[in-house]
Amino acid sequence: MNKLMRIDEVVDAIPAGATIAVGGSSLSRKPMSLVRALAARGRGDFRLIVDVGGPEVDLLLGTEKVRQVVYAFVGFEIMGLAPHFRRARESGSVAFQEWTEFTVMAGLDATVKRVPFLPTHVGLGTDVLAVNDAFRRFPDPFGGETLVAVPALAPDFALIHVNLADPQGNGVILGDGHVDVLCAKAAKRTILSAERVVSAEELQRYGRDVQIHRIHVDGVVEAQWGAHFTGCAPYYRADLRHVQDYLTAARDPASWAAYVDRFIGDRHADYIAAVGGAEALIGRLEV
Amino acid sequence: MSDRSSQERPGTTAAAGGPLGASTQLSPTPTKDTSYTMDELMITVMARQLHGEVLVSSVTALGALAAHLAKRTHAPDLAVLSTPESGMEVAPIPTLTLGQFLTDAQQGIPLTMEDIFDAIFLDRFRIWINPAQVDRHGHVNITAIGPWDHPKVALVGSRGIPEDTSHLSQILYYVTSHTPRSVVAQVDFRSGAGYGPDRMRELGQPGSPTLLVTNLGVFDWNGPEHTLAVVSLHPGVTAATVAEATPFPVALPDPVPTTTEPTAAELALIRAADPLDVRKLEFLSGRAAAEGLVNIYERERQALHAAVWPHRRSR
Repeated sequence: MNKLMRIDEVVDAIPAGATIAVGGSSLSRKPMSLVRALAARGRGDFRLIVDVGGPEVDLLLGTEKVRQVVYAFVGFEIMGLAPHFRRARESGSVAFQEWTEFTVMAGLDATVKRVPFLPTHVGLGTDVLAVNDAFRRFPDPFGGETLVAVPALAPDFALIHVNLADPQGNGVILGDGHVDVLCAKAAKRTILSAERVVSAEELQRYGRDVQIHRIHVDGVVEAQWGAHFTGCAPYYRADLRHVQDYLTAARDPASWAAYVDRFIGDRHADYIAAVGGAEALIGRLEV
Repeated sequence: MSDRSSQERPGTTAAAGGPLGASTQLSPTPTKDTSYTMDELMITVMARQLHGEVLVSSVTALGALAAHLAKRTHAPDLAVLSTPESGMEVAPIPTLTLGQFLTDAQQGIPLTMEDIFDAIFLDRFRIWINPAQVDRHGHVNITAIGPWDHPKVALVGSRGIPEDTSHLSQILYYVTSHTPRSVVAQVDFRSGAGYGPDRMRELGQPGSPTLLVTNLGVFDWNGPEHTLAVVSLHPGVTAATVAEATPFPVALPDPVPTTTEPTAAELALIRAADPLDVRKLEFLSGRAAAEGLVNIYERERQALHAAVWPHRRSR
């Protein structure tokens, strides 16, 4: 089945209030072309699920598209805190639920395995269990020790950026995999954006690097530089110059409005032009 | 960089003794290099805590360099990663954006997140964690300053620290600026379990915090009722300095040992592995940090190519 879509078709397919899991990890391989389109035209009221989140959470918060964020981490790593995430957390304008890296994986895995929860020791002795009422302590039915029940996380959609995809929805990831395979399996509908769409025959040559399998995928979008301004190993690194511009713009409403006006839309080609064009990106970011 | 491998071959340099304070210098006798900086002293101390055949994750420059130094001296069996989840068996050059590229270019072994958490649950994983706050009882915080619901400063979220503190038998922390803001009586949010009564009831001993290295000294939680205690103080640091920087009493041994300084060989290993001085960024803030960051970002691709391509061709 040919699952190729345009970015604007992806935006149209995602209803208001949808629960969306996003792949990648902080400044690595975030599906930013899809996220920018949702920030521009998405119906909003979204519930986001991220393991290690970064610009995607921050941008959707900064464009007021979010109702709740389920997260283990949201930040810009060495570049500092995520400005809109910080503001929303401090003002309480959006609901937040703090999870941890493994429990987000376990919650997605519970959905995959069609069980209501998975058990763990993670969180015991910490305040995560005090502030996140989704978790429950329960006694091990065999031995009696205290365990934590991690409830299933069931995304309506997963958005994942991959190095290569074929039109049927198989996806090649060449750098770190993060939790993308779990997101793809757990979501009711999974959309891939890919640096390049290749034929099924060509994709199959990548063997074990074909980490995303088409039985879990519903849509494929071609978007070269689609992770920018995060990185996409081994093709290009994160654009820390642009991260600095983003952080500067987020300082006050006027400069943020100007940033959104200049960079945020559902036409990926316009964005690439706005950041200086592919030639400039190659010079700055290819490794 | 072409002589890296010969410089760093284990066994050709003197290992800096065993546990802290019990250093026995082996031949060849290294000349004492007194021109080390705080990052280098801390990395050396941190390296000496890593032993055996365990995965060591490289999330921060200091952690990556400690793992690298340990592997090249007393702990050759360490399985050091170049990113939080991949790049086993490469030299983890600290970078801002190139960790995964190092995995690829040096043909490091890729792992998955499942591999990482399985290693944590099996206690075959070590990581040096750099929290925003660490407290008298060993709890740590990277989530929020102030109450969780309405924080004064929202930080990043607990990430994988709860996983570490419910499963590992050795929990390692460092802070580069030991002040009443970072070393506190009680953290605002417990991202990681310390020695509180509920953790002892629900978790027992596994995951108990082991060591804290700061710019003033080395500490553990072997004070009265598992409270913070001095293991050693860095050269020139007095008990009065620690008392001034710490808003609660810290237990002191008598006499107070002095932290063993880096050897010339250890300093050479650290400097060769971090030609861009990424480790210095963790001690900077404001404009100096921003300028340092831009400088490294512009130069790091060149450094990666210089360090990596000859290595790859030789395979």
